[in-house]
Amino acid sequence: MYNTRTCLAAVIAATGLAAALPSQAANWLMLQGTEPAGAAERARIWGFIQPEFQYTEGTKLEAGPFSGQDAIFNTIGPDRDASSQFNIRRARLGLRGQGFPLDSNTNYFFLVEAGNNGITKPGGGLGSLKLTDASVTFNHFDAARVRVGQFKTPGSEEGLKAIHVFDYVNFTSVTDGVLLERYIDADGSAPNDPNGPNGPVGAFRDIGIQLFQSFRQNDWEHSYAVMVGNGNGLARSDNNNEKDIYLYLSTEKVFGGKGPRRQGWKGFVWYQQGDRTLTLAQGTDSTADDVEEDFERKRWGVGTTYLNGKYRAAAEYIVADGMIRNGSDGGAVVGALSNNGLSRASLNVLPEDEADGWYLDFGYKIRPDIELDIRYDRFNRATDTDPAERRFDTLTLGAQYFFNKKTRLILNYEFREAEAPNLPSSHPANQILDGMDDRISAQILAIF
Amino acid sequence: MISKQPWHLRLWAALLLGLLSTGALAAGNPDKPFAEKHVVLQISDPDPFKQTLVLNVAGNLVKHYGPDKVDVEIVAFGPGLRLLLDDNVNAGRIDNLVESAQVRFSACENTLAKYTQNLGHEPALNAHATHVSAGVVRILDLIDQGYTLIKP
Repeated sequence: MYNTRTCLAAVIAATGLAAALPSQAANWLMLQGTEPAGAAERARIWGFIQPEFQYTEGTKLEAGPFSGQDAIFNTIGPDRDASSQFNIRRARLGLRGQGFPLDSNTNYFFLVEAGNNGITKPGGGLGSLKLTDASVTFNHFDAARVRVGQFKTPGSEEGLKAIHVFDYVNFTSVTDGVLLERYIDADGSAPNDPNGPNGPVGAFRDIGIQLFQSFRQNDWEHSYAVMVGNGNGLARSDNNNEKDIYLYLSTEKVFGGKGPRRQGWKGFVWYQQGDRTLTLAQGTDSTADDVEEDFERKRWGVGTTYLNGKYRAAAEYIVADGMIRNGSDGGAVVGALSNNGLSRASLNVLPEDEADGWYLDFGYKIRPDIELDIRYDRFNRATDTDPAERRFDTLTLGAQYFFNKKTRLILNYEFREAEAPNLPSSHPANQILDGMDDRISAQILAIF
Repeated sequence: MISKQPWHLRLWAALLLGLLSTGALAAGNPDKPFAEKHVVLQISDPDPFKQTLVLNVAGNLVKHYGPDKVDVEIVAFGPGLRLLLDDNVNAGRIDNLVESAQVRFSACENTLAKYTQNLGHEPALNAHATHVSAGVVRILDLIDQGYTLIKP
């Protein structure tokens, strides 16, 4: 009798646990866009703070028109004034829930950024509080939920995943290079136009409307998302009549758990397409005789993630076609005056070039409160133009110490290398890239 | 004076008295004839965490005593009635508690009327929910029958 009772109780407990898997909070689309039906608060306050320290040796530019000046890749953003600094990388405060708790068919998500980064202080200047997310989701239909407003676009895992469970301090080079979009007015060819950012970085977000849904089939969960957006970044209206489209498909074998650390093996593919308007310089500055032209921007990728017990892994391959960010003139900090006094360093973009990249990422928990991480990423920039092509390789060694489930310390050492593969090693471009320093970073992440 | 009642009638009367004195018939649930503990759980809070908590408590009672030895009824009223809305995310757990341990769920009709007024239509309730005229009255009735009230 006792054994029967124990077995029954175990079955009840096990089935209860299985049933507790939140079928509506099963992946990034669902976690960020929906609330548990009938069990969400009217307004749940949440957020996180990320104080950090980053360091490079601050090696100066070793060649080119800005030789001896600060190398932009050895300075720390967003201000680019120093090669080592303490910073409040992110400080976000949000509200989410069901404004009318009896109606599970509508929920909202609101988040503002008060940290010091490319969202609040793009290219230096005065920082300000910025709205990063403001969306309403309608859950009236089984086939598709509808989310409208400003929110993360369906796309790369590194961009789509919640930053407060990101396992490193800095993004991979390819994600930073082709997905974390900087909005600039011109292509940077005018020698006296610094061509800095004209607004916040994209932060993997857009303003628009998204249809999405997840379907559970035993242990498998299949999801899709289709979105149309402005394609013009955060908290501002469109600057042309061309809209971006975003497509996303994923399938995941769910092992167990719930929330952002749910265990499973996921495969996904995504595609993004839109147009960007640039002012092309016809003279020596960006005012007279310039012309505006639209250029197509395409991004797509395929990847996988795996989390099971002590082990974690991720891999992704990303391709970019059009609007390839091409660094700054001579590798100098934007706005720097060249040594001959004839030009200012600007941000550049190659509107019709291509790029690609990939990363491999592994994590292993040696103790419940310590995880060791290793990530290798490659970014091939401007692959369609031999002289302009650059290759970035980064090996990141990391460790995370979990004070508790909400607070952790992240330590990273990035071995960074870059080269112009189609130019001789003695070329100034390679001399400049030889000066790329390793980067050390430490970050506290506290969620509340 | 010696009773003239037949001996078997006296025997049944004695048995009935014995059962009543042991409390076996004091808290009655025909589906749980062997239950030794009778518990009514109250859920009336707006905090969604309380939904999880009350289901956990019910599960823990069943786990400890065994499905046959404990009789659990969850009474939902006020904001707590959201637990018994048809689309509630915990519906799977409710199914398991009902099917595996015959846990009962009672839904307050007064609250349901208020929900209907606020929503403009009557919300669908979980199929396992039994309508009671008033949640608090149901709790008092169960207490009178010998149930122990717990509000997690």
